[in-house]
Amino acid sequence: MLSQSKFKVILGNEAIAFGALASGVAVACGYPGTPSSEIIETIMKAGKGVYTEWSANEKVAYETAYGAAMMGARALASMKHVGVNVASDAIVSSSYTGIEGALVLVSADDPSMWSSQNEQDNRYYGLLANIPVIEPYDPQSAYTLIKKAFELSDRVKHPVMFRTSTRISHVRAPIELEGQREPIMGKLVKSPSRYVLAPENARRNREEQLRRWEKIKEEVEELNELIGEGEKLVIASGIAYAYVKEILEDGNLQDKVKVLRISTPVPIPRKLLIRSIEDIEEALVVEELEPIVENQVKSILFDEGINLKVYGKKFVPNRGELTPEVVMGAVYRFLGLQYEEVKYEKAEVTPRPPAMCSGCPHRSSFFLLRKGINMATLKTFFSGDIGCYTLGVLPPFNEQDSAVEMGGSLGIANGVFRSTNTIPVAIIGDSTLFHSGLPGLANAVYNKLPVIIIVLDNRVTAMTGQQESIVREIEIENVARGMGVKYVRVFDPFDINRGSKEVEEAAKWVIKNKEPVVLVAKRACALEAIEKVQGELPRVYVDEDKCTGCGICYDAFTCPAIIPLSNKKAWIDDSQCISCGACIPTCPFKAIKIEGKFPDGWDKAWLE
Amino acid sequence: MVRVNILIAGVGGQGIITMGKMISNAASIEGVKVMVAETHGLAQRGGAVNIHVRLGNVYYPLIPKGGADYIVGLEASEALRNLEYSNEGTVFVINKLSIRPVLPKVKAMNVEEVLSIIKGRKHYLLDAKSLADQAGNSKTMNSVLLGFLYGIGAFRGLIREKSFEESLKSEENRRAFKLGLNEAIKLVTLL
Repeated sequence: MLSQSKFKVILGNEAIAFGALASGVAVACGYPGTPSSEIIETIMKAGKGVYTEWSANEKVAYETAYGAAMMGARALASMKHVGVNVASDAIVSSSYTGIEGALVLVSADDPSMWSSQNEQDNRYYGLLANIPVIEPYDPQSAYTLIKKAFELSDRVKHPVMFRTSTRISHVRAPIELEGQREPIMGKLVKSPSRYVLAPENARRNREEQLRRWEKIKEEVEELNELIGEGEKLVIASGIAYAYVKEILEDGNLQDKVKVLRISTPVPIPRKLLIRSIEDIEEALVVEELEPIVENQVKSILFDEGINLKVYGKKFVPNRGELTPEVVMGAVYRFLGLQYEEVKYEKAEVTPRPPAMCSGCPHRSSFFLLRKGINMATLKTFFSGDIGCYTLGVLPPFNEQDSAVEMGGSLGIANGVFRSTNTIPVAIIGDSTLFHSGLPGLANAVYNKLPVIIIVLDNRVTAMTGQQESIVREIEIENVARGMGVKYVRVFDPFDINRGSKEVEEAAKWVIKNKEPVVLVAKRACALEAIEKVQGELPRVYVDEDKCTGCGICYDAFTCPAIIPLSNKKAWIDDSQCISCGACIPTCPFKAIKIEGKFPDGWDKAWLE
Repeated sequence: MVRVNILIAGVGGQGIITMGKMISNAASIEGVKVMVAETHGLAQRGGAVNIHVRLGNVYYPLIPKGGADYIVGLEASEALRNLEYSNEGTVFVINKLSIRPVLPKVKAMNVEEVLSIIKGRKHYLLDAKSLADQAGNSKTMNSVLLGFLYGIGAFRGLIREKSFEESLKSEENRRAFKLGLNEAIKLVTLL
C-alpha cells in the first residue's frame, strides 16, 4: 500500500476508480459516456504510474485492456451500457481465451434512460459470453466489490464484468478509501495457440472456457450473502438490496423475512440459493430491468426438483429504474401486507428539456444549415447522431430526423437515399465520427452516396465533460480528403452568412455530381473555450431603437441569454451571456451590438 | 436516528450539484450518513435538474414520492415540477427567480403563479439573487439557500453550522451562507 486509508465523500464512479487503484490497476481505458465518464477521469487524475487513455471507441478501449491483461497486467475498460455493444465482438471472444493478469470491464447501465437511447440490461452479456457479472448495491459496495472483481479475475484468469448503474455511479456518499496499490504491469508472453482464435484453437478454448466457468460458479458463492430468518425469502440483486434493506427496517420486518443479497447476478450462487430456500414458503426476486436472476433461480429450482413459488417480474416492472415505491409495493404485496398507493400531487409546469448552452457552436450550425438547405431548395432528411447536437431535434431547429446510435448517421442516410432518392444531410460530431463514423464515410465514398455530411467539430467530446477529441491530432478535413471525398470545405459556424452559402453550394454540388461532400463546421465547445480565457469580456447588448421585435434571435436562434421583453423586443441577460457574439449575424436589423474587446487568447480558445 | 429527505431542484448550471457536495461534505464532517443522487450528462444541459439529498439512517439513494421533508427550488417553477415528492408537511423553499425554458414561444411560469399553486402549504420565499449579489457573487445563490435551509432547522440534530463553514470552499460562499441564515432567523423570529 502506498498510503493510509481515509474517509471521503465521493461519487460511486470515483469509488470504482479508487477501488481499481487499490487493486493495482496498471492500464485503464474507456470512451466517455454517461453514467461512466468519471471512472477514467478519476484514474487519470489520481492514479500514479497507471496508463490511462480515452480510446477512439469502446472496442479499442476493451482491446487495449484485454491486450494488457494477456500480458499479465491488471487492466480495466470502462464504458456506458451501449458502449458494450460496440466492444462486444472483442468481449465475447476474450472469454474464450481468458487472460493472464486481471481484466475488469465496467459497464455503467442507465435504467430509465436519463442520458441514453435505451435501457438495455447488460447482465445479459454475462450470460451470452460466459463472463461473471458483479453488481454493487451502493457506492461503498462499489468500492469493495470492484476490488473483488479484480481478485476474481486474477484467480480464475477470466474477464469479469462489473455492472454499475446511474443510481450508484452518480450517487455521492462517504466511502472509506485505502491508498493506491503499486500497479501490476505485464511482461511479454506469447501464447499463440491460446490467443489466435483460429477454429482449432477456438474449439479447444471453448472447452477451457467452460471449465473456467465451472470454477467461477464456485468462486462467486462467497460474494453473496444470506441475511436474517423467516419463512419468506426476498432475493435482491444489486441496488435492489439497498431498497429492500431500508424498506424492511422501516417496516420492522427484518425478523420476518430472509434476504439473499445477490452481488453476482451472473452466475447466481447455486449452493447459497439452495441453502437459503430451506423451510421457505415463497420467494420474491427484486431486480432492476430484466429477469436475469429470476430466470436462473427458476431454472436451478426446476433442476433440483424443488417446487417453490417464485415471484419476480410479476411484482417488479421490467422497465425503468427501481424506486422506493416500486420496491415497497412489491415487497408488501409479497408479504401480504397492506400497501396503500398514495396519489401524489402533480402540477402542470412548462417543459424544460435540456438545451444547447449559450454560445454553443451547434446552435449556429443548425441555424445556418437550415438557411443553406432552404437557399438550395433541397427537400432533405436530417440523419442525426449521438452528441450534444442531438438536441437539434428540438424546436425551433427540428434538424434531427433520426439519431439512433454512435456513428449511425451515415449508414441511415444511405438507406434513406437508396429507398427514396432523397438527398440526405448526415450530421455527426468530431468525436462520434472517429468513434464509429469512419466505416460509414468510407462506404459513402465507395458506393457514391449523394449526401451532405456536416461534421460539427467542437474539438471535444462535449456532452460527457469536454474530454479531448482525436481532432487535436487528426483534422477532419484531412481524413475526408484522405478517404477520397472530393469536395471538402471548412468554415466557422459563427460566420452564419458564409456557412449558409457553403451549405447551399455543397448541396448544389451533390445534386449535380451524386457523390458525398464533407463540410466541417469548426469551433470549440463554448464551455471548453470559456474555461480557457481569462480577463474581462466585452458586453453584447440589444439596441432597443433598432430592434423591431421580429423574434428571430429568441424564437429561431434561441440562445438562452436572449430574453423576449413584454414589448416583444429582445433583451440580453448578462448573467447568461458569454459575450461570444454568435447572435450578432442572426439579426437582420443589426440591432445586436458588442462593445469592448475580446481578451487575449479568445480566438485561439475557440478555433484551435 | 433522525432521517431528513431534501429535494433540491433547479436549472442545469445553477450550481445544484455543488450544493449537494456542500451538504454531503458537511454531513461527513459530522459523521452523519448521507446519499446524494445527482443528474449528469444530457439531462444536465440547461434542462430541469434535481438532486435527492438523504441524511441519517439511509440505504437507498432516491427520496420516495411524497417523502420529501423539504423541497428547494433554485428556480421557482422547478420546485413545482417535483411536487409529487411532497406531502402535507413538506416545507417549500422557493427562490424568487424565474428562468425561461429555452424553447421558442414559451413563457416561463412566474413566481406568483408558483406561489398560487402551493398556497396554504408551508413555504418560504427568498430573494437569493440579491443576497448572493450582496455576498459578492451572484453564483452563490446555492449557498444563500443552504444557509436559509440551515436557519429554518432542516439540519437540526445532524449538521452544525461550523461543519458547513468548513465544507464551504470560498469566503464568498461562507458570506452567502450567513446571509441566508440571517434571513431565516429574521423570518422565524417574525413568526
